Amino acid sequence: LAAMQVGTAHSDPNPNHVYFNSRGIWATYVIFIFITHFIVLSIPFISMALAWTLTCQIHNVITYFWLHWEKGAPFEPLDQGESRTLTHWEQLDDGVQFTANKKFLLVVPIVIFLLTTFYTRYDQIHFLVNALSLVLLAIVPKLPQLYRVRIFGINKW
Amino acid sequence: MLIFVADADVSWEFSDLIEAIYSAPTYHLVFEGCLILFIVGLLFQHSFLPSKRRGGSGDRLSKAEEDQLIAEWQPEPLVSGDPADEALLASYQRCATSQVGRSVTYSDGRTLVNFATGNFLDFIGEARIRDRALASLRHYGVGSCGPRGFYGTMDVHLHLEEQLAKFYGCEEAVLYSYGFSTIASAIPSYAKRHDIIFADERCCFAIQQGLEASRSKIIRFAHNDTAHLEELLQRQAEHDRRDPKKARVTRKFIVVEGLYVNCGDICPLGELVKLKYKYKVRLFVEESASLGTLGATRARHLRGGRRQRAGRGSDSGWNRECSGPLRGFVVGTKYVVDHQRLSGLGYCFSASLPPMLAAAASEALTMVDEMRGERTARLKSVSDRLHQRLLAELDNLWSVEGAPMSPIKHLRLHRCTGENSLPALEAACAAAADAGLLLTVARYVAQDLGQPAQPSIRLSVNCNHSDSEIGSLLDFLKSYATGLAKKCFQQLNISRKVRPWII
Repeated sequence: LAAMQVGTAHSDPNPNHVYFNSRGIWATYVIFIFITHFIVLSIPFISMALAWTLTCQIHNVITYFWLHWEKGAPFEPLDQGESRTLTHWEQLDDGVQFTANKKFLLVVPIVIFLLTTFYTRYDQIHFLVNALSLVLLAIVPKLPQLYRVRIFGINKW
Repeated sequence: MLIFVADADVSWEFSDLIEAIYSAPTYHLVFEGCLILFIVGLLFQHSFLPSKRRGGSGDRLSKAEEDQLIAEWQPEPLVSGDPADEALLASYQRCATSQVGRSVTYSDGRTLVNFATGNFLDFIGEARIRDRALASLRHYGVGSCGPRGFYGTMDVHLHLEEQLAKFYGCEEAVLYSYGFSTIASAIPSYAKRHDIIFADERCCFAIQQGLEASRSKIIRFAHNDTAHLEELLQRQAEHDRRDPKKARVTRKFIVVEGLYVNCGDICPLGELVKLKYKYKVRLFVEESASLGTLGATRARHLRGGRRQRAGRGSDSGWNRECSGPLRGFVVGTKYVVDHQRLSGLGYCFSASLPPMLAAAASEALTMVDEMRGERTARLKSVSDRLHQRLLAELDNLWSVEGAPMSPIKHLRLHRCTGENSLPALEAACAAAADAGLLLTVARYVAQDLGQPAQPSIRLSVNCNHSDSEIGSLLDFLKSYATGLAKKCFQQLNISRKVRPWII
C-alpha cells in the first residue's frame, strides 16, 4: 500500500494512522473472530450459551487491550513522540472521529452482542455480563467524547 | 439458568431459539432496540477532527476563511532594508584569491592575517591533507551520491568512524555529512515530545534548532552555572517523586557545548558528569570547537566519565573548524550511538560525507595523533599569551570574554571607549582590514533564541600565529580604541560646553 511508506515525501510519520485502510483488514478482523468462536465452540463440555458469551467476552477484552489500553507503537515512528501517550484507537486515522474504520469497529461488538443474546436465549445473567462488557469495554471508550480522556489519570503515562 | 454445562433439557434448535425471542424480557428488547438505533445513527455521522481544545488538531479552514486570509496577505520584502545588513552585504563584495588559512589574499592584492575564521590547528592548506584529499578525489570522485543506507557507505567512512571512536576512547562513532545538522539531528533522535532537556542558555544556533525539533520541554540554565542547574534538577526530581509513573517514561537530558562558540567559555565538564550520575540524566556535549583544541585535560574528563557509566550519554561534535574537512560526528557507547543509524534524520536521509572529505579528515586525525598534542599545546599557549596581553594592555579599551586558554575570544568596546554597537564594531573590522588584519563581528541568525548577546568581535586564534602577528593585532586594537576614546571624550567635552550644568 503506497501509504505504508515511512520516511518518504508522501508518507505518514506513523503507519498506525493508515494501516487499517489496507485491503482485506476488515475481513481479517472478522475471520479472527470466527476462528476464536470456532475454537471456543470446540470445547466439548460447555453449553452453546456459554460458548457465545465466552466469544463475546474474549472479543471485548482483547479488543479493549489492543485499542484502548496499550499506548504508542511497537516500532519507532517518525512523529517525534506524539503517539507515545496515545492509545491505538486514538492513533487510528490520525484522530479523525467517525471514519469508516471506526464505525466498523464500533458496530462489530454490537453485532456480536446481538447474536450472543439470541443464542443465549435472553438469559438474565448472560445478558448482564455481556451488556456490561459491551458498554464499558467496547462502546464507551470508542465515543468521541472520550478522545484522549484518561479517567482518574489511569493509563495516562 | 442455562449456564455452564451442556444441558439436555434445553433445546438449541433454531426454531426454538426464534421462539425464545417472543418470551424475551422487555428490558432486554429495549436495550437491543437502543443498540440498533445507535448503529443506524452511527451510519449517518460525518467524520470530523476533534477541536484543538479536545487535543485534536482542529478542522481545516473553511473556504470563506481561506479566501479572507489570502486577501489579507501582504508579501514581505525580499531584502529587509535593515542598515545592519548593508555592512554584511558589502563584505560579500570582498573576493579571496587564496585559501582562507592563516592569512588570506584578496582580489585587491592585500594579504590579511586571519583572526576571523576558525583554523585552530592550522590544518587548512596542510600539504599532506590536501594530497590525500586529491588522491581520494581521483579514486572515488566527488560526491558519494547516496545516504549511508543507500549505497553511500564507503570504506573511508567506516575507517574514519573507527578512527574517531579510538581517538575519543569510545565504542563507536557515527558520521554525518553536514556539521550543523549533526547536533540538530542527534538531539531529536533521542529526545521526544514528553522529555525534558536542560540546555545552557548560551548554546549555539544549531543546538537550538535541535532543541526545537525535539518537541521536548526545554529548561534553560544560566550559562556555566552548575549550581543553578543542580537547583533545576532538584526541582525536577521533586516533581518526579510526586508523579512516579510519568517520571518513569520521561527522559532527561543536559545539553552543553565543550567550548562555547558564542562566549569562548569552557563548560565545567567534571561537575556536569557528577550531576549526570547523581540525577540520572543523559549528557550531550557539543564539541565542535573543542576537538583537538583543549587537549589532554578534556580527554581525561571525557574518558573518565564514560568508562564508569553503562551506556548513557554521548558526545557530539560537528567539527568544521579544527580538522578542516570533517563535517560532523557523534561518539559514545555502541548502544546509544547506534540508535542514530536509524533515527538520526541527518544520517538516514542526507547523502553521506563525500569520500574525499572523509579521507582528508582521517589524515588530519592521524596527524593530530602523531603530533601527540604538540599543536594543541602551542595553540593553548598562544591563546593564553594573547589573553594575558589583552588584559594587560587593553584594559580600559576593550573587554574580553572567554577562557584564557580558549582559542575563541569575544572582544567588546569598553564603555570608556564608546558605545559597543554593531556598526561601531563593523567600522573597527573595516579599519582592521586597512591595517592588514582580518577581523569579523560575531553574527547571529535573527531567530536565535538564546540570550541575545551583546555585539562582539570574535577572535579565532591559530596555533601558528606568530608573536609579531599577535603584536600587530594588539597594536591595532589599542590605537583604534584610543582614537575612538579621544573622539568620544571630545564629543563629551563639546556637550559639556553646551550644557554646563551636566557633569
